[in-house]
Amino acid sequence: MTAINKDKEKDSADNAAVSVDSVSKAFAARLVLDNISLGVAQGQSVCVCGVNGAGKSTLLRIIAGLMQPDAGSVRLCGHNIRTNPEKAKPQLGVISHKSMVYPDLTVFENLSFFANLYGVKDSAARVDELLEDVGLSSYRYDRATILSRGLLQRLAIARALVHRPIVLLADEPFTGLDAEACQHLISVLANFTDNGGTTVMTTHDINIGMKCCDRVVVLDRTRLIFDAMMCDIDTISFTQDYLSYARNKN
Amino acid sequence: MKYFWLSFKAIFVKDIVTELRAKQVLPTMIVLGMLIVWILRIASEAATKVAPESPPLIGAAALWIALLFSGLLAQEKSFATEHQQDCIYGLLLAPVDAATIYLAKLLVNVVMLCIFELIIVPVVIVFFQLIVPDRWFTLIAVLMLGNIGISAVGTLFSAIVQLRGSLLSIVVLVILMPMMIPATSALMMLFAPSHSALVPVSSFASAIKYMIAFDAVFVTACWLLFGFAIKE
Repeated sequence: MTAINKDKEKDSADNAAVSVDSVSKAFAARLVLDNISLGVAQGQSVCVCGVNGAGKSTLLRIIAGLMQPDAGSVRLCGHNIRTNPEKAKPQLGVISHKSMVYPDLTVFENLSFFANLYGVKDSAARVDELLEDVGLSSYRYDRATILSRGLLQRLAIARALVHRPIVLLADEPFTGLDAEACQHLISVLANFTDNGGTTVMTTHDINIGMKCCDRVVVLDRTRLIFDAMMCDIDTISFTQDYLSYARNKN
Repeated sequence: MKYFWLSFKAIFVKDIVTELRAKQVLPTMIVLGMLIVWILRIASEAATKVAPESPPLIGAAALWIALLFSGLLAQEKSFATEHQQDCIYGLLLAPVDAATIYLAKLLVNVVMLCIFELIIVPVVIVFFQLIVPDRWFTLIAVLMLGNIGISAVGTLFSAIVQLRGSLLSIVVLVILMPMMIPATSALMMLFAPSHSALVPVSSFASAIKYMIAFDAVFVTACWLLFGFAIKE
């Protein structure tokens, strides 16, 4: 749990899908991220693990441009999220444990709204296609407020993908989902990566993270303490080491 | 420019549809507005015995008090839907300018106040026996200028209150004070022209100029500040 593969940091070149460069963030006197650098190549899926308060969500919010870092920069497909948001934002889709959809709009209206915000051409056809993909076609005229947690998460996935992003950020996306909904989400993430998409996901559940990612990064309070490809590690011993580390931290 | 209109229309339609379905804002505005008008009507009846010509003056005040408080109450809720399910992040993640979000929300709030006025203005006219002969257009113009001023400041502060949890509503009332003086004066001059000498603004034209200036300054300022208000 101490080794960081330095080769990964070289990925933070301009051609990386996600490039986090020397990012630091503090809330008042409490340092949350200290000089974090992370490069994610296109088509890669990265799981950012860490205990509660490790700074995972803060890192994702900074990558998404929802929070400004105190130092450092973030580039999405070569576009700086702060200085060139009109180019960077269309590359990005975000899922979190909250759906970001409007309860009083129908499933179709929600997706059409976001498609229009992103200027998607022929938005109705795109929404129909997505509803088919996530299995919500029969719910298209139902208001989001009546959907179950699992169906709501499917709608959230469709919302995040409506503009065909290249990078998908997922902040604790499995929270509150049952086994079937988790399986569906894993297959959607796998499908997204297989089609050349890049995923950065945070989770405190290492098992689920390893199921759907090909690279794992562990964020301790303020810094990255582990970074390796899944194919380079023994998953069983890594899981044991991580769980032991998490128990000590908590 | 085409993209601006597309996202502006999307946000405007979304907010109107959401409100018409949720029915949260308009019923609250109407109940509060009616209550204010009713209370002032009772006071006006008593005042009539002392000063028989007071109802038009109290009517003008009643209309603005109802508009101001009902409007602010409604506008405080205009960002509540964005707060549910973190929808505001969905908006901020899209390549939409904060100014576009502000202008769409501002228009929604102006439309809501206009609908409210369609109900409350006839009630005030009947309750206070106001006479508006041949000056309907002027009345509508004064009310629209007031709408825009209240909504301009209210939209910005509703975002701040909802997203940052501050109790800043009271600040809105202080900011709106410079507009409420000419606004009330304009309606008093409109409803009771014979008492024009009693109002604090020298002429009807001056009152309208003050209101136009207030709207221009605060729509521009709030439009520019909105981006800072909604970003962390």
